[in-house]
This record gives sequence, C-alpha cells and structure tokens, in this order.
Amino acid sequence: MSTVAARFPPVLVGALILHQAVLPDLRLFGVAAEVLLLVAIAAGLAAGPDRGAVTGFVTGLVADLFMHTPFGLSALVYSLTGYAVGRFAGTILRSTRWIPVMTAAVASAGGIVAFAAAGSVLDQGHVVSGPLVTVVAVVALLNGLLSLLVIPATRWALAGDEPRVLAGR
Amino acid sequence: MAVSRRSNRSRFTLLLLVLTSVTIITLDFRGDGAGVISTLRDGARDAFAPIRSAAEAVVSPVSDFVGGVTDYGNLESENARLRDRIDELERQEIEAEDAQRERSELLDLLDLRFARDIPQVAARVVAAPVSNFELTVEIDRGRGDGVEEGMPVVAGGGLVGRVVNASDTRAVVLLITDPTSAVGVRLVRSGDVGVAEGTGRRGQLEIEFIDARTRVRSREPVVTSGLQNSIFPPSIPVGRVESAHVPLGSVEQEVTVEPAVDLDRLVFVKVLQWSPAR
Repeated sequence: MSTVAARFPPVLVGALILHQAVLPDLRLFGVAAEVLLLVAIAAGLAAGPDRGAVTGFVTGLVADLFMHTPFGLSALVYSLTGYAVGRFAGTILRSTRWIPVMTAAVASAGGIVAFAAAGSVLDQGHVVSGPLVTVVAVVALLNGLLSLLVIPATRWALAGDEPRVLAGR
Repeated sequence: MAVSRRSNRSRFTLLLLVLTSVTIITLDFRGDGAGVISTLRDGARDAFAPIRSAAEAVVSPVSDFVGGVTDYGNLESENARLRDRIDELERQEIEAEDAQRERSELLDLLDLRFARDIPQVAARVVAAPVSNFELTVEIDRGRGDGVEEGMPVVAGGGLVGRVVNASDTRAVVLLITDPTSAVGVRLVRSGDVGVAEGTGRRGQLEIEFIDARTRVRSREPVVTSGLQNSIFPPSIPVGRVESAHVPLGSVEQEVTVEPAVDLDRLVFVKVLQWSPAR
C-alpha cells in the first residue's frame, strides 16, 4: 500500500467529521467554514494541479452526499479549484509563511463564487440569492484560519511520490 | 520537456474529472441515477447521525458562545422587544380566553376540526445545515417513525417548513425562509391569498400576488391557505406582516412577513403526517 493510500483516508475522514459534525455548529454570522473545499485547495498547494484536481473531485463527491444541490456539482467546482490552486502554486518562486494562508482564503472565496455561478447555470438560482457576499467573506476568513491546520495535515497525507509544490518549501 | 509532459497530464486529468462530474450531474438531473444517489445520500446521513449527535453535545456550548458574541447587539434589542411583548401578551391573554370560547363554539358549529385530527410525530432538531446555501435543519425522526418527504413541519408558534428528505432515522426539513420554499398563504383580515416565498434570510418572507387595492395592515396575521393541491394544511400560522407597499406601476403589493416561529432557535418540532390527497 502506498503512503498516500494509507495516510489520505484518515485525513479525509477527519475533515468529514469536522465538516459534518463540528463546523455546522460553529458559525460566524450564520456561515460555516468549508473544510472539504479547503482540503482540495491544500492538496493543490501541497502536491500540484494533478493531485489538487483529484482530491477536489473526491472531497466534492463526499460533500455532495450531504447536500441537496445536484450530485456532482461540488465535485466539479472543487476539482477545478484544486487544479487552479496547484497551477498558481507552481508559479510561485519563493514562498513565505503567509502565502499558503492567503492563497487558501482567496481560493476559498473563488470556490464559493464558482459554486454559486455553476449552481445558477444548473437552475439552482437560490445559491446566488441571499447573503452571498457574507458567505464568501466569512468562508474566506474561516478557511484561512483553518488552513493552518488543514494544509500541514494534507501535506502529510499526500507526501510520497509527488514533488511538493509550495507549502513546506 | 518533463514539465510540459506533466502539465499535459494535469490538463488531461482535469478534463477527465470535469467530464465525469458533468456526467454525474446530468444523470442526477435526468433522474436516471436518482435511486442510487438517493440511497447513497440516505446511507451517508444515517451513518453520520450518531457522530453528529455526539459532536453537537460537545460543540453546542462553544457555538452558543460564538453566537452570543456575534449576535450581542441583536440580543439586547430582542430583550427589550420581548419585555414589551410580555406586557402585550398579558393583555391579550384576557381577550384570548373569551375569543377561545367563541372559537370553540364556531368550530363545533362548522365542524372544522380537521387540523386537530392530523397525526403528528414529535422530533428534536439535531443539526444545522451543512451547506451555506441551504436553510434546512435535520431532525431525529425518519421513515422508520412515519416521516415522509413533503410532510409539513410545525413548532409551537406555527409553520416551520416541510420535509425534503427522509432516511430511516433522520429527515431534512426545508425552512420556509429558504429561497426555494413557497407556501400558499392567506391574509387573515382581508382574506387575500398569495404565495409566501423565502428570501434566504431566516427572519423574512415575501408574499406575492397580493392585489394592490387590498388594505394590508402592519402585524396582520398570515396563515396557510390550504387551497386545493396546497402542500400545507389550512390555517397554520405562518407569520405577521412586517411591511407592505405597492411599487410604482405595479398591480401587486410587495408584502414582507416575519415568520411566526424563531427559526434560529428551533429545538423541538412536530411533523404533520399529512398529504394534499387527504
């Protein structure tokens, strides 16, 4: 069994427990962090666009299990987000400690906007009504803070045959 | 060369994942995979039910603290509002006793006792919505307890929403304030009927199709209309009118309603085992 196959499932289960059982009750202005999106972003940061996209697809499918939006919508958005972050991370020549945190915050905001946009295309207009700006801002803030925990965990889970891209350099 | 090859592989992987996602979405939309997807979702919800219940007990003191900090201003004004409300209620209590007697007599006379005959399942709200884009709550009763999709859900004050998903042990309730929710309603004083739609904000509904000439009063009660094929039984309190105005050139009023139930603080609810065919 490869290192990733052994390490990634427990990290995914941990993220799922956070996503399902803990974070929905810890809301700021009625908005909860999106930890499964954050895992996709962290994978892009830690292991590049390939792993970012695949991880995003997996975490997105898991998120879709617990939502009422079309099945596969989160998988689509999360894999695109993980890929984009991996691409971006590959362009950074020199990392500082705060770049991954800022990247996580900005990418989380981008992921939420992409989810809302994709949802509206798929006749899920309600995702763009209501307090979308608040959701984007609070998710960016909370995911930025959570990234201090999630990025190292994901980096550890995906450490193996792939070269590290940004985090940990 | 190696970088270019890796880049091409990444693009190919992404393309594959996007196509797979689009295929799954299409299957879900067309209903081809509805059975499998529904089974997967029900299984996941049932499997996570004990973990969510356990976590809620641990996390709720922290979430109450966070809620108190971020909502302090509202709590202060709410406290003042509630004190005024108590005074008003004490006055109304006396009037209500007399009205109740009259109402009982009228009910006997008209034999409108159907609402009381609807079987109910008491449930506890066990989880907040997982998604930031849905106004739902999860309750600790499911199909095994007689809860089915489409059943109305009420609390002490009135209508809460309807069941949109039921697994064996849990059910998800779509709140009336969700933007996808629509409830047939009647203004109690004027008798006008309309459709109350969610706005995405927990404290507000908007009623459509109220004639511009109708005199809508502030704090006027709003109840479910129960018209033919309505998904809710009649005369369940929905809320009270907050404001009403006629936009320039419109033949309809814009009426906003404050829900009768505080949807942020739901603890116990009742599922009405009712369907429009009854």
